[in-house]
Amino acid sequence: MGHDFVLWIVVATALAFDFTNGFHDTANAVATSISTRALSPRLAVALAAILNFAGAFVSLEVAATIATGIVDADLVTPSIVFAGLVGAIAWNLATWYVGLPSSSSHALIGGVVGAAFVAEGSRAVFGSGVLDKVVVPALVAPVLAFVAGGLAILVAYRIVGRQRPGLVARGFRLGQVLSASLLALSHGTNDAQKTMGIIFLALVANGNLAPGADVPTWVVVSAATAIALGTYVGGWRIIRTMGSRIIKMDPAQGFAAQGVGATVIMAASHVGFPLSTTHVISGAIMGTGAAKRVSAVRWGVAGNIVTAWVLTLPAAATVGGVTYAVVELLGTDDLGPIAVSAALLAALAVVMVRRLLAGRTLTAEG
Amino acid sequence: MTVFAVDTDLLLQVIWVSLVAGVGISALFSFVILGSARASEARRAGRGGAVAGYATLAFVAFALFAAGVVLGVQTMVTK
Repeated sequence: MGHDFVLWIVVATALAFDFTNGFHDTANAVATSISTRALSPRLAVALAAILNFAGAFVSLEVAATIATGIVDADLVTPSIVFAGLVGAIAWNLATWYVGLPSSSSHALIGGVVGAAFVAEGSRAVFGSGVLDKVVVPALVAPVLAFVAGGLAILVAYRIVGRQRPGLVARGFRLGQVLSASLLALSHGTNDAQKTMGIIFLALVANGNLAPGADVPTWVVVSAATAIALGTYVGGWRIIRTMGSRIIKMDPAQGFAAQGVGATVIMAASHVGFPLSTTHVISGAIMGTGAAKRVSAVRWGVAGNIVTAWVLTLPAAATVGGVTYAVVELLGTDDLGPIAVSAALLAALAVVMVRRLLAGRTLTAEG
Repeated sequence: MTVFAVDTDLLLQVIWVSLVAGVGISALFSFVILGSARASEARRAGRGGAVAGYATLAFVAFALFAAGVVLGVQTMVTK
């Protein structure tokens, strides 16, 4: 059995990633509902948090597949998992700070790929897996959702176009409660399981579990709790971008975007082709806007989002790789992960204290 | 058929299923709103036959919409 202290650092880092995954992706489920006033902001994030928590228990077919087929699982060590998670968290925090929706799953895959590449070289990374599970879905998801979203809103306008606007808006707002719930539930089933898979991978790599073992209950409960808490905290910067900065949407567009988002994700899951929730919802929002009027979409914002998607894998891989190099330099057994996590926690504390002090100065000056 | 490790049959299936399901679910819910609105207007106008017709439209559309939601949840549970 490996070093348990390092294992617990990896578990804590995985749960920290799960938390960032929750608040980063809250927008996917609730941004359009908040924007069209179908739900109040607090109620929306509370509903999403509860359904994300429930979703984590719905299907327990472990998503250890997050790394399977992309990196050689036999070569993965807890230190590689740790470095990969640091890369994913860094990218999630960076994109949250600038308010850009990006795929947490791709960030996680990028981080693990970068760390595995630095640790074991190109033999550890399966190029076909990256193409099949990351590149192609990243190209397909937004385009498919864009087209489906555009067609859906045109059909909806055609059907209800002559009815009283107030009645139509009320109807679609009601529908949005359901579509937001479906999206939150599907997010819980997909994303919480990725963290469970990563913790499971670390437990196996450390020798605590056999590869064929069941996922321990504490892993399921802690992953569900972390993603639900993150969702409840809410990534308001990204919610603002998705809810009102891409297009100014009406309730029909909000429902069409969410309805298409939920159905595309479920249809893809049904045939075993996993797509990023973020890519699907963003594409659907742009599609419902462009179908009404091409100039209704703020293409500058859309361009920034697409740029973030393209950069996700290489950026997370770079941070994951550099983190692993530092860990290796200090010692992969104990010292490396401990020193790196201590340094990251210290940096986080400095940022928080500076923000608090800045807030106090502003208050005093005011 | 597989091209560059990508299963193109699966990809095409995702595309058509997503388009049909995505557009279908929005269309069904729109019919729920249309049927409800028209039934309400017909009731105010005292047209009993029209009320029944539009109410049936709303009910059937809602039943199909709900079936789609249940199918989606079932997909998530059993995947």
